[in-house]
Amino acid sequence: MPKAKSSFFDLEGKRALVIGAEHPHGAAIARAYAEAGADVALAALTADEAVMRIRGVQREVEAMGRKVSTYVMDVMLGKNVEVTMRQIVKEMGGLDIVASCPDLFLAKPIERTSDTELARVMQANFNSQYFVVRHAVEEFRRQQQPGRIVLVTSVLGERGLPNTTAYAAAAGAVVNLVRAAAIEVGPDRIQVNGIALGWMDWMQDRLRPDDEEAQRAVRFIALRRRGRADEVGPLAVYLSSERATRYITGQIFPVDGGLLQHL
Amino acid sequence: MGGSVLERFDLDGRAIVVTGGGRGLGRGMAHALAEAGARLMIAARTQSQLDSTAEEIRARGGTVATFRADVTDSKQVDALVAACVREYGRIDVMFANAGGGGGPDVDFWEYPDDAFDHLLATNLKSTFYSCRAAAKAMVEQGGGGVLVATASGTALRGNRNFAYPTAKGGVISLTKSMATMLAGHGIRANCIVPGYVSQTDPKDDQEREQRAQRGAFIPSQRLGEWWELGPLAVFLASEASSYITGETYIIDGGGLAGGLGPIKFRPRHEW
Ligand SMILES: NC(=O)c1ccc[n+]([C@@H]2O[C@H](COP(=O)([O-])OP(=O)(O)OC[C@H]3O[C@@H](n4cnc5c(N)ncnc54)[C@H](OP(=O)(O)O)[C@@H]3O)[C@@H](O)[C@H]2O)c1
Repeated sequence: MPKAKSSFFDLEGKRALVIGAEHPHGAAIARAYAEAGADVALAALTADEAVMRIRGVQREVEAMGRKVSTYVMDVMLGKNVEVTMRQIVKEMGGLDIVASCPDLFLAKPIERTSDTELARVMQANFNSQYFVVRHAVEEFRRQQQPGRIVLVTSVLGERGLPNTTAYAAAAGAVVNLVRAAAIEVGPDRIQVNGIALGWMDWMQDRLRPDDEEAQRAVRFIALRRRGRADEVGPLAVYLSSERATRYITGQIFPVDGGLLQHL
Repeated sequence: MGGSVLERFDLDGRAIVVTGGGRGLGRGMAHALAEAGARLMIAARTQSQLDSTAEEIRARGGTVATFRADVTDSKQVDALVAACVREYGRIDVMFANAGGGGGPDVDFWEYPDDAFDHLLATNLKSTFYSCRAAAKAMVEQGGGGVLVATASGTALRGNRNFAYPTAKGGVISLTKSMATMLAGHGIRANCIVPGYVSQTDPKDDQEREQRAQRGAFIPSQRLGEWWELGPLAVFLASEASSYITGETYIIDGGGLAGGLGPIKFRPRHEW
């Protein structure tokens, strides 16, 4: 590997936790953190094949010569987040960065969205992020060290689309969680920022290959193509590096190829 | 608080300038403001259009005077406000609505100075001149008053025809600053952000059809109508909005709320 030209983005010696590392964007963030020099803990959100997927990421990170461990973190319950986060911090000997990447998509007309579905979409996409912030802040404060939190959400937090009321509301909640949390924990040198994903190439659940209108939606992207997971990692590194972004907090940064600029 | 809520929409005797009041959205605003009881001074460059709008308003019992002015010239704008004060003894509300788009469709790096200057002058400088002249008169008459600028939804997104939205973005920003600077003088400043609005009634079925096709891309499934700006103008000019300042009022049939895909894009993904 060529020697890094700038130490601005260096994460050497940092310990990062990536929650939801089984998702393409979570895995990409974990790889990017490791490439930038961090040791990483990978947490899968469920104890099923997600664990197999993070094992794959684990091997890649190991190959880069970083320390890496894997966990299962059921983010639906605050207590689980608290306990697992505590364990991870103990085993890593500290924590500097937390990236949280849940993504449970549902697209149904509002009148057919049940209480249970709404609750699940909110829990998976919003409550989970809330718990992550709550307990990451707890850990950073305990260490009396600065910390970085990166919450990954969707451009649907800013705009509407038919059949996405629950999901878009959850994303909107995350957007303002970023702002409110950043203001609250800023004095402790804890920074909270968000990444809003646009139409990404793995999102077959929203851009179904057999849905003509979904294919047309790609034309609404200024760059005229879907985003790739490896295009998310560098922004997460930027938002997590001590020197590059010491004065940036409470902001949402889209990775959307210009989708939000479409009228 | 006294009276009924509907009384708060009354503009009884309020002296109001509407620039660009000869046609289009300004004409729609003028009609509604007159109906709510305002005394109007409408301004533009084309006297014949001012006259015909004034005729329509008078025919419906409204009070209106006209003033021919090019709003890109601050002296003419000062004269317009002076004319309102001369006519009605004061100025209560300024609608800095005159403006317009256009410009050459060339590569960004080829875009000429004069086109950019023209669009900034027509849309941004004109708003500044109008609001400055009105604010000065409002402060001189003891404070209180309302400034309403017309921006554009294009300002909130990227656009190939960039000079116009750039100027309109300036209008939004100017509105917020004016709200802050002038609040202490009891002057409120807000702006209207239209989406795609028809400037006239359709002249025939063909035009009606063309508009229906353009409207199909908007969540409300139609373009706005010029007269739909009226109620919003009355709201912002009146005491109904007495605690609202620095805001952008979008009127776009839902356009800016969406935009992530074609109008018929309805993802389905159930568990
Ligand atoms: N219609 C839409 O969909 C839409 C959307 C977003 C924003 N807007 C904004 O809404 C406002 C009204 O537009 P509209 O759609 O009603 O357009 P319009 O029908 O072309 O009317 C524009 C008005 O402004 C006047 N005007 C333009 N340049 C002027 C100048 N230099 N000095 C004095 N008056 C001038 C015009 O009169 P003269 O030419 O006779 O001077 C006319 O009365 C504009 O600011 C426009 O940018 C419109």
